[in-house]
Amino acid sequence: MTEVPKIVYDRLRAALPEPALPEPAGPERAHPDADVLTAFAEQALSATERDGVLEHLALCEDCREVIALALPAADIVAAPLAAETEAVRATVSRAGAPAPHKLSFAWPSLRWAALAAGIAVVAAVLLVRPGKLNQATLPSVNPQVATTAPPASGPQIASSPVPSSPIASSSTNQSSVSAKTDEAPPTSELRLSKKLKAGQVVTPSHQTESGMLLADNKKDSGLADKLSAAPSPRARALDAPIVGRSTEAVEVSGAAVAVEVAPSADGSLVARNDAPAIEKAKPALQEMDVNGLQKTQAAVVPGPARSQARNMMSAVKLAPTASQTLTHNVAWAIAAGVLQRSLDSGQSWQNALRADHPLLCYASHDDDVWTGGQAGALFHSANRGVTWVQVQPSIKAQPLSSDITHIDLRGDVRGDVRGPAQIVLSTSNNEIWSSSDGGTTWEKK
Amino acid sequence: MPRGGMPKSAQSGHAADVAAALYQRSGAAAYGVSAVQFTAILDEILRKYLSYNSAPNSARAPAEQKAEFCAGLRLEELALARACAAGNERAWQDFISRYRRKLHSMALHITRDGTHAAELADSLFADLYGVNARDGVRSSKLASYTGRGSLEGWLRTVMAQEFINRYRKQKRTVSLDEQAEEGMQFAAAVPEPACASDQRLEAATDEALAELSSEDRFTLASYYLDGRTLAEIARTLGLHESSVSRRLDRLSTGLRKRILAGLRAQGMSHAQATEALETDVRDLQLNLRSRLTQDSGAKTFPGRQVSAQDAGDPK
Repeated sequence: MTEVPKIVYDRLRAALPEPALPEPAGPERAHPDADVLTAFAEQALSATERDGVLEHLALCEDCREVIALALPAADIVAAPLAAETEAVRATVSRAGAPAPHKLSFAWPSLRWAALAAGIAVVAAVLLVRPGKLNQATLPSVNPQVATTAPPASGPQIASSPVPSSPIASSSTNQSSVSAKTDEAPPTSELRLSKKLKAGQVVTPSHQTESGMLLADNKKDSGLADKLSAAPSPRARALDAPIVGRSTEAVEVSGAAVAVEVAPSADGSLVARNDAPAIEKAKPALQEMDVNGLQKTQAAVVPGPARSQARNMMSAVKLAPTASQTLTHNVAWAIAAGVLQRSLDSGQSWQNALRADHPLLCYASHDDDVWTGGQAGALFHSANRGVTWVQVQPSIKAQPLSSDITHIDLRGDVRGDVRGPAQIVLSTSNNEIWSSSDGGTTWEKK
Repeated sequence: MPRGGMPKSAQSGHAADVAAALYQRSGAAAYGVSAVQFTAILDEILRKYLSYNSAPNSARAPAEQKAEFCAGLRLEELALARACAAGNERAWQDFISRYRRKLHSMALHITRDGTHAAELADSLFADLYGVNARDGVRSSKLASYTGRGSLEGWLRTVMAQEFINRYRKQKRTVSLDEQAEEGMQFAAAVPEPACASDQRLEAATDEALAELSSEDRFTLASYYLDGRTLAEIARTLGLHESSVSRRLDRLSTGLRKRILAGLRAQGMSHAQATEALETDVRDLQLNLRSRLTQDSGAKTFPGRQVSAQDAGDPK
């Protein structure tokens, strides 16, 4: 650290008020009260007020000491999780229906190098062993999905009818080209949180959650099963396009793979890998991108058809460290529009979710956490904030756009989240929205 | 509060509806706080703080600002604290189950000494419960909680203030509260009369410091005067450690430049200015009347008189 000239010390110190010249007793000379100091330390003050506090603190050693003493105990215990939580910055897609599923992932702490290696290995494997590799898997793992894009980005994938050469839909039933696009509500878009895995090379075991993530691409038939097993809205939406496009060549490009890596602490670094599109020539490729509602799959049989799977915006999120051992002392708080989580009964806090709009409220029940904010922002985590899914409540295509000011979880949300849990939202325009199916359908009172 | 505008629908200012919604959110009913009482509490808090949170040029209606401010409060914790202060049994049970044990770990964190920690925690708990009755009326310190920050953070802050008052008194001639009641700030540690410091150097330094933002000056003071770690400063300011480190580097470089420039502006040559700056001035007597002081401190907080008493040691 660069030293400052000694005079600076002295003048800083000298900046204390002149005791021999008592100021007129006025509030402006007084110490900020405990409430304000607390709010300051929790970053909950308005800019104006914060400035005032800082102005005072710059001059008042005692208040600085109070602030320092009152800092929560250091986050030693929660350090790895703190990093992880930062990663959970809400990059969420506006999925028409949330996926109210339990997620329990073992996040491998892959970083850039691992990612790059993964990409390289995929490419290498594809090039070297085009024949043998039937399915290059690019399973989507992270269900957290990036923010919304215009509806136009809806069915990006299957809609590219490259007429090059219709792929033989014969070889095996599902391993023929099947471009499946879930087109449900066009409002949703395809920004995917994906973890690239190079075949099985870097593959940690994932406990993927069946509805949201289809990481298992090995079984072609498994896909169909899963699709049908998926929650109804998605399954429904999948039907049509599958049929229509089963014989189309599909262009796949892994071009914009947005990688969101969580560095150990410095907020959330968003890095984009606009690097070379992963073009898969002949080798069969099965790629799945999943977000709340939209799913695309392209499976190409080795053949003359050169197909590219195009995934606009696949966001890869790497959340370091598995957090299987979360304590049960999880506590939540909202500070300055950011949802914070404490894993040690409030001793220390980390940012758990920062959304486009300031968050205003939260409700939690065991692993389930809901948080809402301005402009209808609503997020759900089924795993204590490790991963988040944005939920867009809407009734008859009328989305909730006012501020969510309060969330109530009623009923038993333990166990199966799709159970009888009722989520009740209060909004700034005094509406009450409730959902009894984990946020899929809503009623307004 | 750091919130954007609310939708128009909320602006129409159904004050009663807003109040009802806030009341509902707070869950105060469970603790036997009536809607009227709760609204009165909010009004009191608004009176105390709102003037500092309303942008004077804002076109928004006061009602909207109020609603927005209230929505940013920790309503649930506010309801709990005020119900405790009012002696509600259920609220106390909740408070104790949530915070009683934490108080001890907080105290240990602050004092880093088991004996003092127990003493501090017990004493604060007594204050919170309000055993120090005045005129037979129990007055709980929780009555001064306003929900600006988390209740837990507030407890830590109050405890830290108490700790400084109680255990650092030997360093001070007067306590925080006494000074606050007199409307004064703390005396400098070395309040000696001014003498032979180079006035030009002081002036240049003061000028350079005065140009900094309050956050920068806070950072400098925390790091160089108080010896806080980068991590502590970072957490206080909600920044990352490396940002604080970078800022300090930038500040020290910038200050040096500014001071040199200031000295040269007063007619010194570059060599003279550099020499003046490098001279060890630690031994010089301090002139406490600095421009920095005069420039600053114009705005801080309202309602200090009330909170000074509330936050103080009632004994």
